[in-house]
Amino acid sequence: MVLQDLGRRINSAVNDLTRSATLDEKAFDGMIKEISNALVEADVNIKLVSSLRKQIKASVKFNELPARANKKNIIQKAVFDALVDIVNPHQVPYNPKKGKSNVIMFVGLQGAGKTTTCTKLARWYQARGFKTCLVCADTFRAGAFDQLKQNATKAKIPYYGSLTQTDPVVVARDGVEKFKKDRFEIIIVDTSGRHHQEEALFAEMQEIQAAVQPHQTVMVLDASIGQAAEAQSRAFKEAADFGAIIITKTDGAAAGGGAISAVAATHTPIVFIGTGEHLLDLEKFNPQSFVSKLLGMGDLQGLAEH
Amino acid sequence: LSGLFRNVIGGKTLTKDDLRQPLQMMETHLIEKNVAREAAVRLCSSVETDLLNQKTGSFTSIDATIRDSMAKALTRILTPTSSLDLLRNITRTIEKPDARPYVISIVGVNGVGKSTNLSKIAYFLLQNQLRVLVVAGDTFRSGAVEQLRVHVRNLTELSRRERVGSVELFEKGYGKDAATVARDAVAFATNSGKGEMLYDVVLIDTAGRRHNDTRLMSSLTKFGHLANPDKIFMVGEALVGTDSVAQARNFAKEFVDTKGQLRNNGVGMDGFIISKCDTVGDMVGTLVSMVHATGIPVVFLGVGQHYGDLRGLNVGWAVDKLMK
Ligand SMILES: Nc1nc2c(ncn2[C@@H]2O[C@H](COP(=O)(O)OP(=O)(O)OP(=O)(O)O)[C@@H](O)[C@H]2O)c(=O)[nH]1
Ligand SMILES: Nc1nc2c(ncn2[C@@H]2O[C@H](COP(=O)(O)OP(=O)(O)OP(=O)(O)O)[C@@H](O)[C@H]2O)c(=O)[nH]1
Ligand SMILES: [Mg+2]
Ligand SMILES: [Mg+2]
Repeated sequence: MVLQDLGRRINSAVNDLTRSATLDEKAFDGMIKEISNALVEADVNIKLVSSLRKQIKASVKFNELPARANKKNIIQKAVFDALVDIVNPHQVPYNPKKGKSNVIMFVGLQGAGKTTTCTKLARWYQARGFKTCLVCADTFRAGAFDQLKQNATKAKIPYYGSLTQTDPVVVARDGVEKFKKDRFEIIIVDTSGRHHQEEALFAEMQEIQAAVQPHQTVMVLDASIGQAAEAQSRAFKEAADFGAIIITKTDGAAAGGGAISAVAATHTPIVFIGTGEHLLDLEKFNPQSFVSKLLGMGDLQGLAEH
Repeated sequence: LSGLFRNVIGGKTLTKDDLRQPLQMMETHLIEKNVAREAAVRLCSSVETDLLNQKTGSFTSIDATIRDSMAKALTRILTPTSSLDLLRNITRTIEKPDARPYVISIVGVNGVGKSTNLSKIAYFLLQNQLRVLVVAGDTFRSGAVEQLRVHVRNLTELSRRERVGSVELFEKGYGKDAATVARDAVAFATNSGKGEMLYDVVLIDTAGRRHNDTRLMSSLTKFGHLANPDKIFMVGEALVGTDSVAQARNFAKEFVDTKGQLRNNGVGMDGFIISKCDTVGDMVGTLVSMVHATGIPVVFLGVGQHYGDLRGLNVGWAVDKLMK
């Protein structure tokens, strides 16, 4: 599972240090280096790693620690806080309300898992009593509408799309209008994959957004993304101002640090994670419990309360 | 910062101490380009071995010496030991007297661009006047069959207009065993041995699978045996970080022949297609990570979402991006 190896490694670095006989500054620096390497291997953005390293050093102030201080606790807390800080964006995601139309638009890079996740999320809301539907505004990718249609049919969720209309803005507008009229409560709009290097694709995303006026825009990120995560997610944030992130493919072996870096770069909360290819493979995400799981520090719960 | 790169002008015999800091910076530089740390560390240590106790050239700083040595190391690792001339291989295989269709299959993790890049290869083959059978071997993911049907329809239209080869789809819908579908497709292309073969090249798509799913991964071995492809290409995505190393290793190790030997002289697969290079700027490190992990060469780069967006690997181009 994502970030678990990372957690194990960080934990053992901290433990090695605090168990060792001489807890001197050299050993402390060594631990920080080991943690940094673990973060880099987990695809955390390299600049973010260096700022984390500084943050941990600054908050521990090793030289100034009184001789009798509980160094283990202080160091663990510093590492823990720094990590919680990354995944905790200090921002509350949009919460759909019953009895009104909530439009949710999906954006993201090619192949990230948008179409698959759209249906998973629709099913999630449907199971919680919302009247839910899907709009396919991907008119570019071959077979995109068939893909959404087959998923929606399996999940018994109404859908809208077109095999003839090639303008995604028109499809998105028509679909959302129709479903609003029919008093659907959750209207999820799937869009094509795109990347910031192609301006026309970003312009199209903004036009779709203007046409459907989403209450929430969700960026879908693949857990295996590497160093490009930061630049891409920043560009999506600037262009589409997404308010939530879903990380997919967390059932893979990737450590997920790239996706975490995107969270840090955009100060946007992760709301769900995808855990497989099937309809039910979606979990709600909670940053705090995630980090304590990550660090395998059940005994440190007390430290996490802030 | 410039103090770190002491500009020793010429004739300096390099010690471990001289090299430590600049090599550390070089490692960071490679990681910024999305080279997996494992590969970056190995490359840096090969540069260290290369330079230790060597004299820097006249008017050459340590920095420049290291850059030069790293560029060479990257060139070495990325340059294939034997060149793959796909078209020539195909021509030879489909020549009489024992002509048979040339079989290529595409594998990789979910969403990396297998089906799209398969269609780009089909386009490339069509331009070379070949008859192509596209096989819908992804019998799992929703829309996978229709996706290929649309590509084949588009490509048929293009080839008619451009008066080039011809292309058709072989599909058995969803839920079928992919290895069996592939085997049947190959038999169909050979006209089941009843005279002239019907297609020159069989291009088999497969379902995306994560490399830590042992059940789905081991089914690749059976697939390899039943489809018996001439070439197995794995699509790796330029966006992917460190996981690319494990992806490459775990896919390669599934492809053993019937005698239990890894295919292609012990490396398992025949080449990588690195997709989505247009989405990463200079951060093309994935191609280094995957080659480093397996010794399997990069044969194509995907540089966009259209049929023409497929390139051969230009090593100089890649090294320039990595050293920028
Ligand atoms: N293992 C796993 N696979 C997933 C998950 N989510 C999506 N996938 C797979 O990832 C691949 C791509 O998913 P799509 O939903 O088509 O991605 P997309 O973002 O809509 O792609 P484009 O529309 O082409 O940009 C498919 O093979 C999905 O089955 C997940 O959580 N786990
Ligand atoms: N920008 C860019 N996008 C690409 C490239 N290659 C593929 N894509 C896009 O990536 C997305 C996924 O491509 P697919 O070919 O469906 O990927 P796949 O590996 O077959 O996916 P699954 O079968 O679901 O595992 C599509 O939106 C493609 O258009 C490329 O070289 N550049
Ligand atoms: Mg999609
Ligand atoms: Mg596919």
